[in-house]
Amino acid sequence: MPFIDRIRKYKSLSIVGLEKNTGKTECLNYVLRRMAQTQTQVAVTSIGIDGERVDLIKSTPKPEIYVEPGMYFTTLSRYYLEKRFCAEICEVDNDSAVSGGLVTARALEKGKIVLAGPSDTVSLARWVEQAPLKWHVGLALVDGALSRMSLASPAVTEAMILTTGAAYSANMSRLLGRTRFVYDTLCLPAVPKELAGRLGEVVRGVWAVDERSELKDLGIHSALYVQDVTKIIHSGERRIYIPGVVSNTLLDKLGHQKEVSGMELIIRDFSRLFTEPDIFYRFLKEGGKISTVLQTNLIAVCINPWSPEGYHLNARELEKRMQEVLGLPVYNIKRLER
Amino acid sequence: MKFSRMTEHIDGLKYLAGKLELSGSRPLRYLMETHFCTNRQELESGYDILQSALDLVSDPARLPDCMRLNHLFSQIHDIQGTLQAVAAKRVLDEIELFEIKYFAFLCSDFSLLLNDMGFTHEPLYPLSEVAAILDPDGTGVVSFYIYNSYSQSLAAARDRLRGTDPGEQPGEWEALRQDVDKAELEVRKELTRRISYHSGVLRENFDTLARIEIWFAKAYLAKRYRLVRPEFIPDGGSEFLAIEEMFHPHIADALEDSGVSFQTVSIRLEKGPCLLTGANMSGKTVVLKTVSLIQTLAQYGFFVPAGKARLTVVEELFLVSGDRQDPLRGLSSFAAEMLELNRIFAAVKKGTRMIVLIDEPARTTNPNEGMALVSALADFFTLHRTTALISTHFGDMNLSCRKLRVKGFTGQSAVPGEVNAQNINKYIDYSLVEDMDGLVPEEALRIARLLGVDASFLELAKKYVK
Repeated sequence: MPFIDRIRKYKSLSIVGLEKNTGKTECLNYVLRRMAQTQTQVAVTSIGIDGERVDLIKSTPKPEIYVEPGMYFTTLSRYYLEKRFCAEICEVDNDSAVSGGLVTARALEKGKIVLAGPSDTVSLARWVEQAPLKWHVGLALVDGALSRMSLASPAVTEAMILTTGAAYSANMSRLLGRTRFVYDTLCLPAVPKELAGRLGEVVRGVWAVDERSELKDLGIHSALYVQDVTKIIHSGERRIYIPGVVSNTLLDKLGHQKEVSGMELIIRDFSRLFTEPDIFYRFLKEGGKISTVLQTNLIAVCINPWSPEGYHLNARELEKRMQEVLGLPVYNIKRLER
Repeated sequence: MKFSRMTEHIDGLKYLAGKLELSGSRPLRYLMETHFCTNRQELESGYDILQSALDLVSDPARLPDCMRLNHLFSQIHDIQGTLQAVAAKRVLDEIELFEIKYFAFLCSDFSLLLNDMGFTHEPLYPLSEVAAILDPDGTGVVSFYIYNSYSQSLAAARDRLRGTDPGEQPGEWEALRQDVDKAELEVRKELTRRISYHSGVLRENFDTLARIEIWFAKAYLAKRYRLVRPEFIPDGGSEFLAIEEMFHPHIADALEDSGVSFQTVSIRLEKGPCLLTGANMSGKTVVLKTVSLIQTLAQYGFFVPAGKARLTVVEELFLVSGDRQDPLRGLSSFAAEMLELNRIFAAVKKGTRMIVLIDEPARTTNPNEGMALVSALADFFTLHRTTALISTHFGDMNLSCRKLRVKGFTGQSAVPGEVNAQNINKYIDYSLVEDMDGLVPEEALRIARLLGVDASFLELAKKYVK
């Protein structure tokens, strides 16, 4: 059973697809089934979304998750009432902003369910934190969405599985390149533990960090606007911590400075980085360094060679080349299933 | 008048409502619907309840109980829709059945705790029968599903379904699944029917819990601001209201933020009118606001911000502050004021038991007619023995009614520059004294001089003082 053992090291996991139809649901169902076999108690939910069962843009059916007996799941009450298997309601939460409230239930039989759980980072993080205490589960699993990457940030779940495939790009080289880029942002090095503890407390502003790990407030509100970026450049600092969003503009400007080499940009986690691949790579190539306060534990990359439009890539070749490009094991869930 | 509307009229009421520690919109909804209580006995028994709650929240030994109680309040779900469904006998779905079970279990937790705390004023109906209906196997666990033990045909249908593979025999599975759905629906109908017998007590408990929560929130408020239980003055005498060391929590908090403490004031009113005079900035308006706040709080079942308060229960409280324009109807402040006074006259003639608080009536018109209007007000209220507190700047009106004066400015020996807009209230004594001569203190020019207003301008003004 590849990568399942690695999952068991963590208390929480999110599965994120680089695009819809990259096999995220298959991957989730695979993990759920395998966890049931290892006798690990699981609670599962999904990032609450628009809620339509059929994706209106591509009109492909919205995934239904198969839960195994004994599993806890959290979803909108209206989806709960549509289920066609026996489950025991354990909690109803009407306080969240979601219409109709969320139901958490324990499956008494195997069955399928549409999942739509907490829809903001704070409630999702609370769900992840409370699941082991309330339901005595060993793993809290979140079905994520790339468009809402921040919800998959290490601030919410400890570990992550990434799915990618033909739906993301039907051109293999492009697919490999784009996936590699996301992978590289996920695997940015972490700052030393002691410094991470100190930076973790800081949630806004722009800060200089000296060699003794002392923080100096640069008096800049964020790094979003051109004038902020100019101020950051003019500060002449060589090691900067930005807890908020790091934009293309900033990284581009920094990459064009004469003395990029040796410069270190510290971000909170990968989900704060909003940048184009070429700008990201140029900054690194010029000798700049980007590190993170919270690191993502990427457990596996899963691929789906099929796209919903019917394209498909050579599965074996994709698996092999992706493995070469990323330098880590890549799994084709459909083949694992066989 | 409902509490929600009253908060728009009485300054400081909304502020205190905001300080109530309520668990969410459900109890707040109840508070906003509360009516201005005009029944003395009802108020007294409310104060008894509030006093017991206050004793509990003030007892350090009860702290764990009180914390647990607050936690339980936060666990109540707003199941208004479900309760309406129960009353209307609409078939409940699984989630609604869970909610009823959860509520029944919660009520028994509340009963145990409240009994333990000795708080027996607002008893809850036991819901053990409802709990038993929704816990057929007697597990005592709050989770819920349509248990097999509800119906043999349901159990049998589920058994048949389990023996079928939806992948291999989809048609058969679907048919069996529909049998299960039907059997579940039958069970839900039966459960709804049985629960609907308890519709009244479910509703009653739901309301009671909101009331208890509000009592405790009022108790915490009383503890925080050292509010006191008002006493009511027996009918018959001439005394109407006697408040010692009253304060206005909103203003006191704002002052405290800037490092100044609120000077408490005592006041006694009899039946009939009383004029209130005092220099600028002497706090006449604050006196009116505080009296109206205290009277209002008392009649919504709160304790009041004072050292001691003896009050009379009124049917209506009128607060007229002259600067209130009526922009929607396009009235000037004078016209709006006159129409408001006219409403009061009508109520007076109807014999309504009331207290009237008017802040500088007729201030926006010429002094000659203004004085005439104020004098007429005093006469009118004397004639009808209506208790009214009327603040005014007009002096020397030769009225026989009672007059109170704010002691006022005490910085007579201060030199210009010593007093400024920031510290001037240190030089004001806000206490009230009986005013025998009826002369209004003329201190406006002196205060202006101490504030550093242009001397040549003040010389010009001095020429016109008679």
